[in-house]
Amino acid sequence: MKIEISRRRFLQGSVALSVVATGATVSLAQKSDNAFGNVPAYGITKTSKDGVEIPTLCEICVNKCAALARVENGVVTKLDPNPYFPKSKNMLCPRGNAGIQALYDPDRLKYPLIREGAKGSGRFKRVTWDEAYAYIAQKMVTILDEEKDNRSSFLFCAGEGIAEHTFKTFYQSFGSSNWLNHASLCLQTVTSAYSLTLGAYPFSDFENANYVIMAGANRAEAIVTPDTMDLFKRTQGRGAKLIYVDPIFTNTAAKADVWLAIKPGTDLAFVLALTYVTLEEKLYNIPYVKEHFQDFEVYQNHILGHQYTPEWAEKITGIPAKQIRTIARDFMRHAPKAIYYPGRRSTFAKSDFQLRRAMAIFQGLGGGIDTKGGLVFGKTLPLDEHEADSPMYANAQARAIRKKEDASKGEAGYADCAIVSGGGSWIGWRNRFLEGKMPYNVRGMFIYKHNPVLNMPNSAKTIEMLSKMDLVVAIDTMPSDTVMYADVVLPECTYLERTDPVKTFGGVEPAIAQRNKVIEPLFETKPVMDILKGLTQKLSKPLFEITKKHDEEVRASIEESSHEEVYAEFDLTKPFMHSQEELNAQAVAKYPGAAEILKQKGVYYPLMETMFEQRTLNEYQYYPENSKFYTVNGGRPKTASKKVECNLSTMADKGVDAMPTWKEEFAYHVPTDKFRLITGRHAQFTQSGTSNNAMLRDLIDENYIWINANVAKQKKIHFGDRIEVSSSAGKVFLKAYPTEKIGPNMVFFIHGFGSQSKGLSLAYQSGANDNAVIEDIIEPVYGASVMHETNVELRKV
Amino acid sequence: MLNALLPHKEISLKSIFSFEKNTFNIVMAVVTVALIVAFLVGFGNYALHGHHAYGVSKEHPWGLLISMYIFFVVSSTGLCIISSLGHVFHIKSFEFIGKRAIFGAIITIVSGFCVIGLEIGHPIRMVIYNTISPGFTSAIWGMGALYSVYLFLIIMEFIFLSRDEHKWSKFFGLGGLLIGIAAHSNLGAVFGFLVGRPLANGVFYPVYFILSAMITGCYLLFLMYGYRYKMQFTEEMEKFLMHLGRLLGLLIAILVFFEFWRFLTAIYGRVPERSDTALHVLSSKSFWFGEVLLGMAIPFFIILYSKAKAIKATIYASIGGMVGIFFMRYNLVHDTLVYPMQTMKIKEYQLAPTWVEYAPTLTEWAIALGSMGICLALYYIGENFFFLDPNKEDEYFKHYVDEE
Amino acid sequence: MATYAMVLDYKNCINCKACEVACKEENGVLLGANYHRIWVGVNEIQGSYPDLSIASNAFYPSQCQHCDNAPCQEVCPTNATHYDENRVVQVDASKCILCSYCMVACPYDARYVDERTMTVDKCTFCSDTRLARGLKTTACQATCPTKVRIFGDISDPKSEISEILKTREYFTLKASFGTEPKLFYLK
Repeated sequence: MKIEISRRRFLQGSVALSVVATGATVSLAQKSDNAFGNVPAYGITKTSKDGVEIPTLCEICVNKCAALARVENGVVTKLDPNPYFPKSKNMLCPRGNAGIQALYDPDRLKYPLIREGAKGSGRFKRVTWDEAYAYIAQKMVTILDEEKDNRSSFLFCAGEGIAEHTFKTFYQSFGSSNWLNHASLCLQTVTSAYSLTLGAYPFSDFENANYVIMAGANRAEAIVTPDTMDLFKRTQGRGAKLIYVDPIFTNTAAKADVWLAIKPGTDLAFVLALTYVTLEEKLYNIPYVKEHFQDFEVYQNHILGHQYTPEWAEKITGIPAKQIRTIARDFMRHAPKAIYYPGRRSTFAKSDFQLRRAMAIFQGLGGGIDTKGGLVFGKTLPLDEHEADSPMYANAQARAIRKKEDASKGEAGYADCAIVSGGGSWIGWRNRFLEGKMPYNVRGMFIYKHNPVLNMPNSAKTIEMLSKMDLVVAIDTMPSDTVMYADVVLPECTYLERTDPVKTFGGVEPAIAQRNKVIEPLFETKPVMDILKGLTQKLSKPLFEITKKHDEEVRASIEESSHEEVYAEFDLTKPFMHSQEELNAQAVAKYPGAAEILKQKGVYYPLMETMFEQRTLNEYQYYPENSKFYTVNGGRPKTASKKVECNLSTMADKGVDAMPTWKEEFAYHVPTDKFRLITGRHAQFTQSGTSNNAMLRDLIDENYIWINANVAKQKKIHFGDRIEVSSSAGKVFLKAYPTEKIGPNMVFFIHGFGSQSKGLSLAYQSGANDNAVIEDIIEPVYGASVMHETNVELRKV
Repeated sequence: MLNALLPHKEISLKSIFSFEKNTFNIVMAVVTVALIVAFLVGFGNYALHGHHAYGVSKEHPWGLLISMYIFFVVSSTGLCIISSLGHVFHIKSFEFIGKRAIFGAIITIVSGFCVIGLEIGHPIRMVIYNTISPGFTSAIWGMGALYSVYLFLIIMEFIFLSRDEHKWSKFFGLGGLLIGIAAHSNLGAVFGFLVGRPLANGVFYPVYFILSAMITGCYLLFLMYGYRYKMQFTEEMEKFLMHLGRLLGLLIAILVFFEFWRFLTAIYGRVPERSDTALHVLSSKSFWFGEVLLGMAIPFFIILYSKAKAIKATIYASIGGMVGIFFMRYNLVHDTLVYPMQTMKIKEYQLAPTWVEYAPTLTEWAIALGSMGICLALYYIGENFFFLDPNKEDEYFKHYVDEE
Repeated sequence: MATYAMVLDYKNCINCKACEVACKEENGVLLGANYHRIWVGVNEIQGSYPDLSIASNAFYPSQCQHCDNAPCQEVCPTNATHYDENRVVQVDASKCILCSYCMVACPYDARYVDERTMTVDKCTFCSDTRLARGLKTTACQATCPTKVRIFGDISDPKSEISEILKTREYFTLKASFGTEPKLFYLK
């Protein structure tokens, strides 16, 4: 990034963001132009006796593990686990420890920027906050005026984070209807499927389950707390039997008792066959099913009638029929202390929604719902939510989706998918935008903590979308690929530099936890709360003028009452007037002493002082056994009917199968000379967010493509050879990793690499971006991105 | 003043440059200077970059420089032992090599110290803490301490040999021999004590080092006297060289016998790591071409078939022999380190460690070969300044005495 | 006056490498693949797809074994490598001459050269960081998601580590060399 220095400002020591990296490796032992003063390069420090510990919550992934940040002489020297949090159970994964390198990353965004060169060129000029706000305000006023105050002419996207809600508040009070988040990329189908079938998306009680089927959820590498910590202490003969189903042999397979090399995307056939065996041999929990199943006979007839036998499934999945029978029998024998793990990042295939429904129903057949050792809903400690006013904008159009017209013609649902959820279908929305099928103009975009250029399938299209927007405002901590396509960049401080909204974490051992600021924000960065406060102060009145100009009803209201009264409803600054500390204290007001405890210890739950105790050097008791919330709903699902919903007849109106049904198109088929691309994670990285982290890159500095060892031998591909991977979406290059751990017509490489942002000096062009080749296929129910149905070609270069 | 200590020739810059300027001498002079320059360049690079200038790594921390050091001290001890055959054990035909051999021992160990001084990370710290905080169980401490004493003893021996004071020269000679053997087998024990390295661990190296030293001493003496007499030998010379040849033949035969059984016992039973390493060594070109062919086979067969009478051929073969000896030293260090101590993958995207690889950098080559230049230069200076032949036969000595 | 050792319930290990990172963060170890005080190793998997051996792919965390009969300590010429009062093998950087003998002698590949001081470095059981602050756990132990490591004093019969060693079978690495490692892997 080339930066011009505003004459009024200078930064002590270093002046500019790192110069464009040439792609050569940085000498990690040297102090690069150290803008961090007395902090050694990349924050590599040794701890000493001095210092204070401040409780915070990690933000590097979704788990929000509780940490204690050690500060010595104003420098954060170590992040230690905070033992008080039941969810993270006194641990920090490699990323949690490496938060220091994110804090002291020389490439991090330091001050507001406005684009100078072409979008994507990385040429920005540094400006003050006021200048950035003024620029945004001026552009927004112009656009809204032209669009006649259609608030939905702005799209708001956010990634997952504790402060996502703060950002969403801005979106809500702004009045747009176009909201996209990462749900359709990640967990949309599984949460929806379980919610419709069991009433809520449940947790798994791995401390007490005796038999677990885990399909595709690579918990040893895609860490979810406390699942990962509870399960892997008990597998391989130590209390729980783990059947792990995955086309590739991941680290979870290494920890499992049985690994089933299933053909990608055919899990539905596996579950249907398990269900068949269970029903045919009457292995299910008969009294439970009798009391707690809706439409059981219908479902039974459906499964048995379709003959979803293990023999049928063997041909489709590659899993031996005998094994399917054994697993069904073993599962039901151990039920209710048996779990078919729901998973989280779903949408492997188009059948995903039906798959998750089938899994939920199968779980129900064993009776392991809302009970110890099975799927549990747990309890959530309520906080006092402060609902922000959502003013009424008459001209704000509805979400930009097109409904299909005639249900009788099978045109139920929407253009992208059958049902539009809160998070929307990112790919569906984007593609229609690019095809010019928006019902009105969408001209601008606010992006918070989100990197769609790298995380959404078909990066080229995402780049095109960003290029077409008239105003792209990105709020981020790092100059990611998406930030490079922004018009205005607003630098947020890292999670260690801010206090964030207190959050409640439900489960068998519920708790409330709070992120407390560890050090003052560095450079000119600010928490998103403060950014929005400043922005709305600049925006609120000018935008209201536009509303007045185009909105008859508002003008009428003003005449009836007064300008001040009406403006008060439309005042965008209102949600951001209080400090986060104040809001946090209010949120936990109903728990006496909680606010103080959250500041001191970072975690609170009622009776913590008496219930929390250290058992061994490593383990703590959070809740005594009889105080844990295994059963909160009498062992029943949380649906309105309190029963497992087998047959969703209302879905049929929308063109969705009411019951999980196998279709021919779901079969696994790869054209000759092509390979099915599968993507996933290693424990050392969180998607693309950590790609520039010096410490984590020390562990793996680029991704490699897994190729079956025999195939590699035939093609004369050796370890480290450069391979071109291409599909209809694009092509990438990365190094080969021949291995036995993957099948002959598949390839695999982890997500998060291949950044094209020159601002990330370590991550730039390191490895390959999977979404540059993953095609934008979406599943039909929620429009979620299908990640494992792309076939690619390989070529050694 | 030096005269009071030991007799010497004229010590001046002029005398260094006054040599017969034939082709061979000029070539030698140029080569020596070039090698010394190379050494200085290597030294400069090391001064700038420290250990980064070397190709050593975490798994292979000892490399060419250590091999070179061993090469030199083996040569030194060998020369000391062979020379002691003369003036300590009074084998008649070996008597007259005393001063030259001991001088050779001194300069080779000094060259060795020059090399190791650039390899040890903190040489001054070594001198201090070896003295005030000694690790008595450490073979490196033992070797360091003993070699320091050894150097002192052989310097003393040289002085007394030069002064013709044979009671003292014999005293220091015996001392030097015993301390030299102790120091040298300690050096072997540096490898022999390695519990974690099955092929190196055990009795072989400490014993083999003494044997190899004697062989090296023989090769060096062939070279030294071949050059000294320009291949034209007196009868007495011939007799000595023949005896030397027979000794060399015997020693090589013993070495072959040792190596044979060493490798056979290492491979037998296919004990993992020990036999794997042994087979890996046996399949390497440097072992068969360098160690066996050049270092043992060619000289041995020349001696065998000529009954040690083909002196010229033996001398030429000694050049190859020294190259072979160099391979033996390099292989010794490399073979000890070649099997990785940790054979698991510590990252997903790597190949599992197999054999540890090492290649010396240019700096290491410069220092290693350059140190040969130092040795040659010191030898030449010694030849020029000191009386390396028996006094009563040395024409220079007679000339010198006359001048007095 | 203790005898510090560590027990590893290595079957819990998921090879996430949190311990490697925590060690570097706590002790200020340089970035770089060659500067690892601790690591997690895995053998290449046996079998061919899809008949792969799960058992062959176990994860083995490892580091300096703090052997009770340490070869590194025996071979150090200046006693830079020595036992401290808690039987922890330490390197006194002021005495280390970088002869690398200890690196050659160590059967566990535990040592490396710290570039900043040009001396040999390795795991110190966090002696000068966490233990010096009075904490009872090492960085690698504290951070581990599945709680593989338990550090403690084996000369105290009542300590947690002693109790475990009395009730669980264990093995040590390269036991036949007689180095008496103090890292115990629970079977």
